[in-house]
Amino acid sequence: MFDIQLMGLLNATLQAATLLFIAALGELITEKSGILNLGVEGMISIGAVTGFMTAINTGNIFLSVLVGILSASIFSSLHAFVTVILKQDQTVSGLILTILGLSLSALMGKKYVGKKLPVKIESVFNVDEPKNIIEVFLNQNYIFYLSIFLMIFTAYLLKKTMFGRRLEAVGEDSKAADSMGLNVNKTQFIATCVGGGFSGLAGVYLTLSYVPYWTDNMTSGRGWIALALVIFGGWKPYRTAIGALLFGFLEALVPRLQTYGFELSPYLVKITPYAITIIILIGLTIYKGGRTGAPSNIGIPFFRESR
Amino acid sequence: MNQIILEAKNITKSFGSIHALKNVDFYLYESKIHGLLGENGAGKSSLMNILSGIYQPEVGSIHINGNKVKKLNPDFASKLGIGMVHQEFRLINNFSIQDNLTLSKANIYTDNFKEGYEKYSDIFSLSADPSTPISELSVGEKQKIEIMKLIFNNNKIMLLDEPTAVLTPQETNQLKISLKKLSNEDNKTIVLITHKLKEIQEFTESIFVLKDGVMVAKDLETKNVTKNDLITLMMGEIKQSDINKDNKKGTEKLIVENIHFENIHSNVPTLNNISLKIKSGEILGLAGVSGNGQVELANIISGIERQYTGQVIVNGKNISNQGVKARKNLNLSYIPENRLGVGLAPGVSIIDNSAVKDYFKSKFGPHLSTNKMLDYLNLLITQFSIKAPDPKAEVSTLSGGNMQKLLMGRELISNPEVIIAAQPTRGLDINAVEALHDLIVKQRNNGSAIMLISEDLDELFKLSDRIIVLYEGQIVKEFAIEEADIENVGLAMAGLNE
Amino acid sequence: MNKYLLSKKIIINELSTFYSFLIGLSIGITIGSIILLTQGQNPIEVFSLMLKLSIGSVKSISSSLNKATPLILAGLGISIINSVKLWNIGAEGQIFMGGIALNFIYISSEISNPNLMIIFLLASSFIGGAVCILFPAIAKVLFGVNEIITTLLFNYIVIGLTVYLVNGPWKDPDSLNFPAAAYVSKEVYLPTVFGRLSYGFIICILCTLGVHYLKEKSVFGYELRIAGGSALTAIYAGINAKQKAFVAMLIGGGLAGLAGGVELLSQTHRVSTGLSQGFGYTAIIVAAITGMRPFGIFLVGSLFGALTIGGSVIQTMGVSSYISDVIQATTLFGALIAQFFFTYKIIRVSEDV
Repeated sequence: MFDIQLMGLLNATLQAATLLFIAALGELITEKSGILNLGVEGMISIGAVTGFMTAINTGNIFLSVLVGILSASIFSSLHAFVTVILKQDQTVSGLILTILGLSLSALMGKKYVGKKLPVKIESVFNVDEPKNIIEVFLNQNYIFYLSIFLMIFTAYLLKKTMFGRRLEAVGEDSKAADSMGLNVNKTQFIATCVGGGFSGLAGVYLTLSYVPYWTDNMTSGRGWIALALVIFGGWKPYRTAIGALLFGFLEALVPRLQTYGFELSPYLVKITPYAITIIILIGLTIYKGGRTGAPSNIGIPFFRESR
Repeated sequence: MNQIILEAKNITKSFGSIHALKNVDFYLYESKIHGLLGENGAGKSSLMNILSGIYQPEVGSIHINGNKVKKLNPDFASKLGIGMVHQEFRLINNFSIQDNLTLSKANIYTDNFKEGYEKYSDIFSLSADPSTPISELSVGEKQKIEIMKLIFNNNKIMLLDEPTAVLTPQETNQLKISLKKLSNEDNKTIVLITHKLKEIQEFTESIFVLKDGVMVAKDLETKNVTKNDLITLMMGEIKQSDINKDNKKGTEKLIVENIHFENIHSNVPTLNNISLKIKSGEILGLAGVSGNGQVELANIISGIERQYTGQVIVNGKNISNQGVKARKNLNLSYIPENRLGVGLAPGVSIIDNSAVKDYFKSKFGPHLSTNKMLDYLNLLITQFSIKAPDPKAEVSTLSGGNMQKLLMGRELISNPEVIIAAQPTRGLDINAVEALHDLIVKQRNNGSAIMLISEDLDELFKLSDRIIVLYEGQIVKEFAIEEADIENVGLAMAGLNE
Repeated sequence: MNKYLLSKKIIINELSTFYSFLIGLSIGITIGSIILLTQGQNPIEVFSLMLKLSIGSVKSISSSLNKATPLILAGLGISIINSVKLWNIGAEGQIFMGGIALNFIYISSEISNPNLMIIFLLASSFIGGAVCILFPAIAKVLFGVNEIITTLLFNYIVIGLTVYLVNGPWKDPDSLNFPAAAYVSKEVYLPTVFGRLSYGFIICILCTLGVHYLKEKSVFGYELRIAGGSALTAIYAGINAKQKAFVAMLIGGGLAGLAGGVELLSQTHRVSTGLSQGFGYTAIIVAAITGMRPFGIFLVGSLFGALTIGGSVIQTMGVSSYISDVIQATTLFGALIAQFFFTYKIIRVSEDV
């Protein structure tokens, strides 16, 4: 009995973590190029609703995933345009993106509230009640495995390839990168749109697998957690994954606490992941003495003719 | 006869309403070392930025090996072989030497990095391992990497913007040797951009002179030109002021005793047992290359830094571990070397910046009266000839000279007892320098005790009554002005004493 | 072939933020119209109704201004904090905390004079907001922890706390459909000035004037400006930037808390999850778009209040209330884009002579 509960917890952890990790990884890439995008919540929402709408109307999962990714990516290009091309404040633009994304998706999704999906993203091997770790892993769907691949690929890209080093260079010191002949605007624009695509993928995962339906305010703050995860992970893919697992664990734990015999009100327990994130963040900042690993140039618009 | 490898014709460039370059012609011979001479603000940096593709001229064309070049950007310029080393280095601090040398798309040492690095670190006498992060290098070493960057990008034409500004006399000599090697043995074409006559005469073979955006002399043969010729071309008329060093000196206004300060970022004591005294009517020159403790000492004396041991006594009052306000009350003024960033707040209006010194003294009333602040600003403007048309404009819209006048005016108008001035005329044109020097001497004559921190040995020799040299946080030598010359001061600056 | 370059303008027109906003508003209305058309609605009809029901009568203007009040108060708080270049993303949570603090004081104390009680309650909501931002403020000032993330995460903590309270210890047994705390007594409702216009709006006006004074005319505001320009200049000038920033954050948080208190005493009359519907976030952008100017925040906030009221009433026509959110967001984006054209010049560059 205990075993199945533990496996159930592990299963839920992995799923919650996948969702958070994909969005965080995308934001990591964007921030590595020096752009802060606070619009993650809005982008996930856009991906979620468009993917859901496509699934309802076409029944084609692959198409739905694609549409979700692309919609969020195009949506994020708005932020890219305003911050990279027009050099406006990134914090403000990101926040507007969130509000716009949430309200647009609510508007689009109005007719789809409560509708049932004809299809879902399937697991690799469907196991009803996994009894051991292997079965838990087999029960995950292909987006989970995609996220693992993306993690390894991104880590490799950033550290070992010219492309990745150049991306980092742009985020570290855009003026130096420019003088090295790197195209700062292009790099930042693409990195922002790629980040948007990742958020879209997370959104699709949300509505087509994790919680397979659509309603208002589906994202419930996960986009903000993803932002915190990037900092928590020190802008490194593997560490971000660990943070996602931790947070996913807490998210999975909360509804299960009562079955383990905890008397705390579930409402209060729901707060703990956020509180713990803050504490970890503060601890990390103190421990690292301010050198958190952030790209040195982040938030500062690049402007070549500055005099 | 060397070929003309690069030619710029009829270049015109403006920034807003400022005309930086007007119909400028400029050309380079292959394998020669050229000099581009001009005062600060003459347009040298703008011209070089255009050649290296960072700025675009409104009018004009560039030709490489006789072929006209179309649109130029840093990438394309680099491909054409043009590279520039700027005054502010463009190295990525957290990245390694190797990263900084190889990330550029124009890097030609992709497969044979090791050989290339060995060859050139030899020429430059550089001993650092390529995996060292830039943040761990000295200023001189960083400059070597900057120049190597050009070589690694296959830049045969190398533009160096005020390269000796941050070097000791000995390092400057080393640079000269390295550049001559690069020009003779490695076929590199070099341009030295500077306002220092000495460097032009020692380093270069061909001289161009820019004055107020106009090229007033082209391709002068260095051997055949005198200092006076060059000065006349650069400036028109020299305003020399004869400083009487025999003026009356009074009581000691500033006493510093046994200052010991540890920089929290390293274990080496940043300041070790510093003691000095400055009398009323005296200018003490503090010589030394940047980074040997000058900023820290100035911060301690001015009350910004409070974690140290030792005594600071102003006009007899011991204010050792008190803060900035205590100094202000005793009428001590500090003119920091970082004019925009410390002395003046960027992004803040001119009128706000003018009140930085005295705002809290309720001079403007219990709340801030805009009228009183405006009156104060206008007083500064008239007394110090500052060109500042709009008080609400951001302070960075002022020219360098006017910003410094605002800063100094603000600090000097109260006729301070003690003045700490750090690099007061850095980056300014000759007329502004003269005006500021006059201000300093006037204060001296009024009885102020002045500490002049400067990397400009000419300035130090001109104004100081005594010179002390700071090296690695210690006062290594002191000279009366009659005993000081460029040799012994330069040696002391490099830590080599006899 | 011509090439285009960017050049930053040296002197920026003071009215540029105002013009940018107008341009943004036009864009917002246009986009809104397009969306309405795709939904088979007639934009002119919809907007007419919105206008009529939001500013078409004294009653509706009052509702709009009441709606705008918390938005403006939170925005004012954000503008103070931004003087030192910090962002308060936690206004949403501080609004709730203001309500919670107010309710807490209400149930645990007894003051006979209702007017005194009201003032006391509003003061406690201000303190509640300040307490909410206290932790992120300390973390920022002492350890340099990014205040964007900490204030943001605190929103979820406080909202979670609210959910806990209204479902648990403060749960009103009489409120069947909607978990909420009990209503406060009618004695402490904020009275109206005339008609529907609440005294909360007067508080709003006073705060606008007060914040304007604080920012533009006071020594404190000056110190904030210098510290915001450069931390090093502040040290050089003898300004304890950290202390000033800390105080600024507390005041900013307090104002957001006050927004919550005012909203509670004048509109909702109880603590519930409906105390704020995202004002805290909208306030950030309203403040930014107006260049952090108190009077601008007052005007734009009022307009947005009207937009929100208009949006909620057109639901009777079958239009989703989210349309007003979309219009607001697009307006803000449009203003941001328009700002670009006032800040930068595009230069055409010729190839050669």
